[in-house]
Amino acid sequence: MSSIPYIWYRKLDKMSKTKYLFPYNSRFLGIALILVHIPIKLIWDAHYPGGYDHNNPISPGSETPLFSPPHLFFIGTTLMVLVGLFLIAFSKEKIEDEQIVQLRLDSLRWAIYLNYAILLFSLVFTHGSDSKHILMLNIWLPLLFFILRFQWVLYRLNRSSKSDETKL
Amino acid sequence: MKNNIRVERAIKNITQAELAEKVGVSRQTINTIESNKYIPSTLLALKIARVFGKTLEEIFSLEEND
Repeated sequence: MSSIPYIWYRKLDKMSKTKYLFPYNSRFLGIALILVHIPIKLIWDAHYPGGYDHNNPISPGSETPLFSPPHLFFIGTTLMVLVGLFLIAFSKEKIEDEQIVQLRLDSLRWAIYLNYAILLFSLVFTHGSDSKHILMLNIWLPLLFFILRFQWVLYRLNRSSKSDETKL
Repeated sequence: MKNNIRVERAIKNITQAELAEKVGVSRQTINTIESNKYIPSTLLALKIARVFGKTLEEIFSLEEND
């Protein structure tokens, strides 16, 4: 066996053991990104009081450059919040053991179910630009549902085991 | 599935936290296993049995409806 594929093999092996999660501290970077988007949003709203529609994707033949101010604003707010939520959702717990893995999977399934239920319901009962807004919400809604549900189960887990500790 | 980890722990005189550290999980996980809220994987069950120096069946047993 040549050495290069073996290194790849080792790398893949290591990755499967880490379960494709970000390090524990990346949740703080996630929170920071979400906080940073607030002043950007405030400054933008002060500049364009009437609101400035995000026109991407640009229609063919349009002269608008790809990185137009509204698109940069979109990157600096919506996408930054998305990355922030992603980091919070998928950073490791301090001790990422098998029970945490199970709770994570349960919460993920729960979030997907809820998200698609709401998505189907709202697509049936909306039309026009409302439907577009709902699809925009869906950029980060599943992540938000997941984070809320996962943190809630973790909170309940800690609370129940704390009350047991005092008994022992 | 039921288990007698709590009893075995008392015999060996170790806390949940100490057992958790020995088998590489959080204290909460040991706690939920003891109170039958969480069923450990075979790997974890074997590790726990090893800490107490017993076989799997001496620590864990099936219940009637399992």
